[in-house]
Amino acid sequence: MDQPSLQNTHVKLLGFDILSLTPSFSNSSIFYLKGNPTSRTEILGVITSREQKPDKFLKLTIDDCTASITCILWLNQHSSHYFSKRQPTTVRVISDLAKRLAADVQIGKVARVRGRITCYRGEFQVTVSDVVIERDPNAETLHWLDCLYLARRCFGG
Amino acid sequence: MASRAIKPGVVVTPPELQSSSEFFKEGASLRVTGKLQEYSVETAIAVIADQSAILKIDTQHLREISFRVGSIFQFIGELHIQPNNEAILQARIGRNVDGIDLNLYHQSLQLVRQFQAERMNSATM
Repeated sequence: MDQPSLQNTHVKLLGFDILSLTPSFSNSSIFYLKGNPTSRTEILGVITSREQKPDKFLKLTIDDCTASITCILWLNQHSSHYFSKRQPTTVRVISDLAKRLAADVQIGKVARVRGRITCYRGEFQVTVSDVVIERDPNAETLHWLDCLYLARRCFGG
Repeated sequence: MASRAIKPGVVVTPPELQSSSEFFKEGASLRVTGKLQEYSVETAIAVIADQSAILKIDTQHLREISFRVGSIFQFIGELHIQPNNEAILQARIGRNVDGIDLNLYHQSLQLVRQFQAERMNSATM
């Protein structure tokens, strides 16, 4: 059976697997995990730091006990050139959603973060598209098991 | 590529924090889980227990956490080894994890460690 493509799915990864990714030489948005190209990830862990610059970004750290991963949630939709050509009402919806996500992020809570994998100044980061606060105390354990299962079945781990 | 973010709290169980253990190091960033046996408001020291071992936790830096004896708590922080060789975790994160399946947690922890060791072995080969 062919290996399923991981490129357009949020691949559940442990933090230390993110730190061992290999960037693509030809495409800055693609990273290789055991030879499998991927661009998006889902991580889950305790929020151990939070730094917010109003109307610019929220930087948080997720500790899943294997690594600490920096995640960036952009809050600059109204001033960003990237959004300047989009409908103002769409930009407002995106901006409001980002602000709601940012308000949920508090140190000590467990968060499930989905987003694009990026590399900034030599450090792997996740550009956040979604954050969900997990209240189930077994959520981390189950995420570990999901990551291990996927690694062994899909990534040749 | 290494992360320059805050150090992760490596999961250890209180029985693994003996003086001969690899985790028993001053300043080591650790994550521990256990049932709260006692808590002193005056000293802000909590004592948690797991699998018949206990560990002291310095909770003075924690906010918005209610300590209830008998509940299960999880802490992330740095290990401080006192002059009498007793370890205390200076917690920077703490949360109530009542409802956690500790058996599943411990078993899964072993699987994660095994997986990490296999990955590191295959990376060095």
